[in-house]
Order: sequence, then structure tokens, then C-alpha cells
Amino acid sequence: MKDRHKTMDRVAILAVMNSVLAKRGRAAISDEAQTTRAANFRSLDFSETALRIEMQIDRELAFDAASMRRIATVKDVIDFFETATRAP
Amino acid sequence: MHTTNQSIIVSGGSRGLGLHLGQQFLAAGNRVATFARSRTPAMDDLAAQYGDAFHFAALDAVDAVGVGKFVADVARKFGAIDSLVNNAAIGQDQLLMHTDPATIQNIVNVNVIGPTILSRAVIKRMILQGGGNICNISSICGSRGYAGLSVYAGSKGYLDAMMRALAREVGEAGIFVNSVAPGFFESEMSSVLLPEQLATIRRRTPSGQLSNDANIFNVVDLVISGTTNMQGQVVYVDGGITI
Repeated sequence: MKDRHKTMDRVAILAVMNSVLAKRGRAAISDEAQTTRAANFRSLDFSETALRIEMQIDRELAFDAASMRRIATVKDVIDFFETATRAP
Repeated sequence: MHTTNQSIIVSGGSRGLGLHLGQQFLAAGNRVATFARSRTPAMDDLAAQYGDAFHFAALDAVDAVGVGKFVADVARKFGAIDSLVNNAAIGQDQLLMHTDPATIQNIVNVNVIGPTILSRAVIKRMILQGGGNICNISSICGSRGYAGLSVYAGSKGYLDAMMRALAREVGEAGIFVNSVAPGFFESEMSSVLLPEQLATIRRRTPSGQLSNDANIFNVVDLVISGTTNMQGQVVYVDGGITI
């Protein structure tokens, strides 16, 4: 039986993002206020982060491209996943 | 042989072209997983011959939950999924006006929904792995008009279009997505053609011969080998009938 209430805190989400960047040989995120472009965090990195979070919370995250387009900073990414993992 | 020591999913591998692909990939030292609605004696033979290098599941291609479990099982058993060959398909031999809606739905389910949900599940694994190869078995019908094949042709055109979009979506992640498009080839699907029709096809084909399973395998083998840097392409294996 899947636990539908698993969530992730901001520290854990940032750790996942940094592990994705490390896999690509890129520098870790230094500041949440950085834009995703400045952090070199690309759309596929976002997708891989989502997949890794899905594995950790043991359920799929559903979101559309429009909600992703509003994301500009690292903080936006973390906010996004924090909210998404809280959703029922 | 170009592809060896890979973990490969071949959909619809219990008979026909899919069975041939699975047999050849296994013989070349790969691990092969396949599924079909029901187990055939050929699946028992491959299991006996190749043991843990072969995996079969009885599964409906449009069962998204079942497909997800199948992909997870294969990844766990083989350790990774290096390549996917979207082969499973059903044919058509009717003018659209005489094709009943249930048949249309069935073709769309198997030829469109099936490979889409399978690709989705496999891509998730490949993204986390850092790469892979997807090869759709398309058809010349996807880009040329042939009477009596409207729904089938539409499904193959869909596969090619999806392939190009996916190549853009996941290419940066090291996933290569391509199609191999056979012409009329010696198969169960072409067995419905009359001898006169087959003779006409041969006459119009520059090579003078229909493609066969071995021809198609040789191209799929190259496409998923990871050695070509080929991305988002349809490779026609048709003796030149479409040129």
C-alpha cells in the first residue's frame, strides 16, 4: 500500500536538485534567489528532479507545462515541489 | 551485430517480427524482456534457452498500471533498461467506411496508446539512468497513402510524429529516439495480400524484393546500438518503393 502522505522539505528538495546538477558535472546551487538560468538548472534537470522526488515519495507528481513556465528562480522550483509533494 | 550486452524491451515479442527481434538480440548476448496478451510456446522456449536473460509477462499493452509494473520489474531484474523497441501493433485490411468503430478503437489502443504509455514509463527510467535508445517500428504507411490501411497508417504516422517530439524532449538526456519503417515485408500482415498484389509490389520496388525480418533486425540493431548519433529519424527499409 502506497503512503500517499509522504512529503519532502526544502532541504531535501534542494539536495535532489544538487544531485542532478552533480550528475551533469555542474556546480551546486549557492543561493535560492538565483535564477534557474544562472544556476544552470535546465528543463530536463527539472524533469529528473521530479522523477527522483517521485521515487522518494512513491507517487507520481502531475503538473502541466504552463505551471513550469512561471518558474524563474531556484526558490520557485523548491516552492513548486514543496507544494506538489503536499498535494493529496 | 552492433548491439550486445544491453537490456532491451521489445513489445509484442511473442510472435512475428517481435519474436525474431527478441531471438536475435538474445543470441547476440543481450537481455530481452517482452510482453504480450498471452504466453506462447515460443516464450517458453526462450525462457528455457536463455534463463534469466529473458523476461516475459502476459500483459495488455493499454494497461498503464500493468505496463508500469512491467517496466519496474524489468529494471529490477536486468539492472537497467538500455533500449526499447516499440514493435507491438495490429494491422488493418479494410476501407475506413467498412471498418467498425470497435476495430478502430482496438487499432488505436494497441498501435497508439500502447507505445505511448510504454515509452513514458521507459523514458522515466532512462532519464534517471542518463540515457538509452528508443526505436519505433513504424511503416511506410505512416508517410505514404495506401487504401485499406487508413487507421493503421494514422497510427504509424502518429508514432513518427511522437518520435520526433520525444527526440527533442529527451535528446539532451542522452536518449536517442528513432523509427524504422518497413515497407511491405514478408509477415503475417502481408499474408492477407493476394499473389497478384505481392507481384505488383515487387515490380514497383527497385530492389525487386520484399523486406524480411532479418533486414529489419539489421537496421534496428544498428539504430539501438548507441553508435550512430542518429536522432529523430525515420529509416525506411522498403527496397526503395517509397523513393
